[in-house]
Amino acid sequence: MTDKQPPKLPRVKTQQQGQPKLSEPAGPNADYAPMDGQGFSHILSHLLRKPLSIIHEINKGHKNPVIALFIITLSSLAVFGFVLGIFSSGQQLWMAPAKVIGGVLFSGLICLPSLYIFGCLDGMDAKIHHVAGLMLTFLAITSMLLVGFAPVVWLFSTSSNSLIFFGVLGLLVWLICLIFGLRVISQAARCMGGGSRGNLKIWIIIFILVTLQMTTTLRPILGTSDKFINLEEKHFFLGYWFKIMADKKNDRQTSRQPEREAKANEKVE
Amino acid sequence: MTTQPTSHSLHNIPTLCRGSRSLLRNWLVRNPIDSLGFCIPTIIVGCGVYGFTMGLWRSGIMAAYVGIKFPLVIFSTLIINGAINGMLAMVLGSGISFRQSFQFLLAGFALMSIILLSLSPITLFVILHAAGPEQPEAHLMHNIILLCHTSMIAYAGIASHRSLLAQVRDFATTPAHGTRTFFAWLAGNLFVGAQVSWVMRPFFGSPDLEIQFLRDDPLNGSFYDSVWKSVTNLIGF
Repeated sequence: MTDKQPPKLPRVKTQQQGQPKLSEPAGPNADYAPMDGQGFSHILSHLLRKPLSIIHEINKGHKNPVIALFIITLSSLAVFGFVLGIFSSGQQLWMAPAKVIGGVLFSGLICLPSLYIFGCLDGMDAKIHHVAGLMLTFLAITSMLLVGFAPVVWLFSTSSNSLIFFGVLGLLVWLICLIFGLRVISQAARCMGGGSRGNLKIWIIIFILVTLQMTTTLRPILGTSDKFINLEEKHFFLGYWFKIMADKKNDRQTSRQPEREAKANEKVE
Repeated sequence: MTTQPTSHSLHNIPTLCRGSRSLLRNWLVRNPIDSLGFCIPTIIVGCGVYGFTMGLWRSGIMAAYVGIKFPLVIFSTLIINGAINGMLAMVLGSGISFRQSFQFLLAGFALMSIILLSLSPITLFVILHAAGPEQPEAHLMHNIILLCHTSMIAYAGIASHRSLLAQVRDFATTPAHGTRTFFAWLAGNLFVGAQVSWVMRPFFGSPDLEIQFLRDDPLNGSFYDSVWKSVTNLIGF
């Protein structure tokens, strides 16, 4: 080292380009901002376009959208339940909406403590009432999407006679709507400082399983029964679905037996 | 000025879940008694309630038994392994003392208990709507419940220990020493915990066996004997 050369500075570790900072949470989404306007219609449109602004409003704002979200959830689930009830008609027209509303709200209620804890494990900085608001927003979005699918479901409820097909269709629609709703939970978690450690993904799987079990617990939502809920006979949802499919197959075979016998007799004659 | 969370408040629950360094450091360095005051009741309540839902499938008595036994398994494992965990922490150069090693593990199990407590409403729902042990599907249901509880406990264990690993690495003299110490503790706790659970069986309650607090000969045999027997039976040795 000569006098002309300046002394070397100690090396400081700099972050390389393209490498994410591990310790820092992901930046907040631009939609996580105060809601424009006021009133029920604004909440409805924000719920689909900018759901994060509703969550922002619950967490930090002055306009409390909780009551509106609750009304949207209840009315949307009632509409979807009614459309499901059309498949069997009769008493199912009021029983199916009641069961759909009860089932979804009860699933949300029993999964709320785990959403709070799993959110915290993911680094989310939220209080329990913020998480309750997040859950309500998620249920409201999912329910609204179900209403969007209601005409499709209605079309099949009036035209199809297959309980299995209609059941699968109902589940498919439910899962599609859930995916969109659950995406909001992941986005909101990131805005609230968490969502990077994968615990919420586990929670999402648990929530889906709980709602699937709920369809069996509250049965029949689609078919007919003398009882409102059959709590004496208990089943695991997969076992119950396979049982229904096997029963239907046996029924079909039994109903075709006389036709086969008649054809066999004709051949003999 | 930052305020430290008070020990007996519910505010410690989200703080511990988020893996707050300041909370654990405060417990380890300044207020060791506070950590006991929070962690011990949390383990009793969290594991107790979850244990209750575990045993409920068989009967209310079984639920009460498991509600008592589950926290006991945690405390027994911690006490039995306490000495060796402390020694390992010192030998492995982590700079963690005897007392602090106990506090670290207690905090880890407290976090696991919180996770299990939050899952209890779901397990309760599953149990209340599952085919009972007297019904024809009892064995299938027993297997499903077993799988469900095993997955949930495993998840809670992994999540809590992952958080604990970060804390130990942060607190130890170097992260590498912290990692070594943590895995030494983990290995010891898994080894002893499996045997303690074996001694304190039954937890799930097989539908064919009678309901008991402990089996007639709880200290006869070991978890590893039974695993060995199962493996040899399986391969026809």
